[in-house]
Amino acid sequence: MNAFVRRSRGLVLPILLIAAWEYTSRQGAAQAYAFVPLSSIAQGFSQLLASGELLTSIVASLQRTCSGLLIGALAGIVVGAAMSVSTLVERALSPLYHTLRQVPILGLIPLIALWFGSGEGAKVLIVSLAAFFPMVLNAREGFSHVDKRHLEVATVLELTSWQRLIHVQLPAAMPAIITGLLHALAFAWVSSVGSELFLSSGNGLGNMMMNAETGSRMDVVVIGVLCIGLLGYGMNLLFSRLGQYLLRWRGSR
Amino acid sequence: MTQSLADIDTRPASQLRKPVWLALVDRGSWLLSPVLVLVLWALVASRGTFSPQLLVSPGDVARAFDDLWHSGELLENLRFSLSRLGIGFALGASSGVLFGVALALSRTVEAYFGPLFQTLRQIPTIALIPMFILLFGVEETFKVLIVTKAVFFPVALATSEGIKGVPNRYFDVARVYRLPLRSLIKDVVFPAAAPTIVTGLRVALTRAWMVLVASELLAADSGLGQMIEMGRQMMRIDVVMVGVIVIGAIGFALDYGLRLLEKRLFRWQNT
Repeated sequence: MNAFVRRSRGLVLPILLIAAWEYTSRQGAAQAYAFVPLSSIAQGFSQLLASGELLTSIVASLQRTCSGLLIGALAGIVVGAAMSVSTLVERALSPLYHTLRQVPILGLIPLIALWFGSGEGAKVLIVSLAAFFPMVLNAREGFSHVDKRHLEVATVLELTSWQRLIHVQLPAAMPAIITGLLHALAFAWVSSVGSELFLSSGNGLGNMMMNAETGSRMDVVVIGVLCIGLLGYGMNLLFSRLGQYLLRWRGSR
Repeated sequence: MTQSLADIDTRPASQLRKPVWLALVDRGSWLLSPVLVLVLWALVASRGTFSPQLLVSPGDVARAFDDLWHSGELLENLRFSLSRLGIGFALGASSGVLFGVALALSRTVEAYFGPLFQTLRQIPTIALIPMFILLFGVEETFKVLIVTKAVFFPVALATSEGIKGVPNRYFDVARVYRLPLRSLIKDVVFPAAAPTIVTGLRVALTRAWMVLVASELLAADSGLGQMIEMGRQMMRIDVVMVGVIVIGAIGFALDYGLRLLEKRLFRWQNT
């Protein structure tokens, strides 16, 4: 009983907020325009489901995020590893990397749109860039903070630098790489939605919301926000579980 | 006195002291790749392989910067953007700190507000832009509020985490001395949690800058984002590039400034 009361206290405020939303929506047409009644959100949801628009948008956004994440994260791991292994690469790339990193990815969208148009390629490029920058940082940290004793063992065993990279440094860098992947995922998801908001061609949750905004369909916008929040949360959960599974050999925690 | 093993320098003699010129080259090599990229860019632009709508030379970008600076357009847009950032940040940071303190210190607040806070925190600010536009219109209110939202959540989270991280011993001592709540917060909790809070402020500020630029790109009649968007629509790539560079420079300056502040404020910490 006590536990139930404790739990339900957290629900009081959300329920009050939703009730206030519903109440405001019934205060005349002007209010209903911004605060759509819950019933029309439900209606809009079933419409979007029935027409298949919601599903297409979700699939398009997820696809874009995944391909961007794959490209950006792989490139990021390679560059990060190269930077930690070779001083030359570090010298050559690190200043450039730290300079480019300062520009917010979404600020680059107009430039990318001028160069690559507003098609799928431009969007995937934006997502990959968003995933690339945090990945490099983490991969480099991971590859350069390897237990000294392990490196000494590698020297004793006379491993080639390639063998050392794959069998000693890569496993040691795995936790950092997975942390980087989680960061990269968050950035990729946000920039995927962001790029869809800006580049209006094609499918995606961002496009769906932008069209809804021009048509003043608040119900669709609300559904879009909920989907983006839920999917982001779900993907983060999935990836961190996956990370724990992949790192189970570490034994600790 | 015996020297411990760790004190002995085991590097080969050749590495012990670098000559001055080598140290200079060492420093200079950091500039190498950016300069190389600039030169390459200038070369490609001067070859004329790409039309000037797609690629302009660094010189053209510098000239565009000069024009925008002298006409006052850049400064005016900058003023608009920074004042929005400032107002939104002030609102978001102050409410975020207050809420974070309440969330960390009071079980009741935690019970009632915690779940809602944790849920809303998951929604990316960018996704809220269309919703805020419908709710508040495309005027100043929308831009200030979106910055406020972007700042509030990370600051509130950092504040509450920072305070929860304060060792229980401190609270025990405060209880022994019968410190009033005001003094407990001011003299014990805040100094102990301050490093976490300032880091939260820094993260929030950079994020807010990105969100502000994004919302100015989408809907604005003034500000840096709008300047870039206009440049894009008129195919003025030089203006777009000036805007992108200024945005990057400001993002860097904000982050760097708060990092310096962090270092100065917490010199007493031996981390």
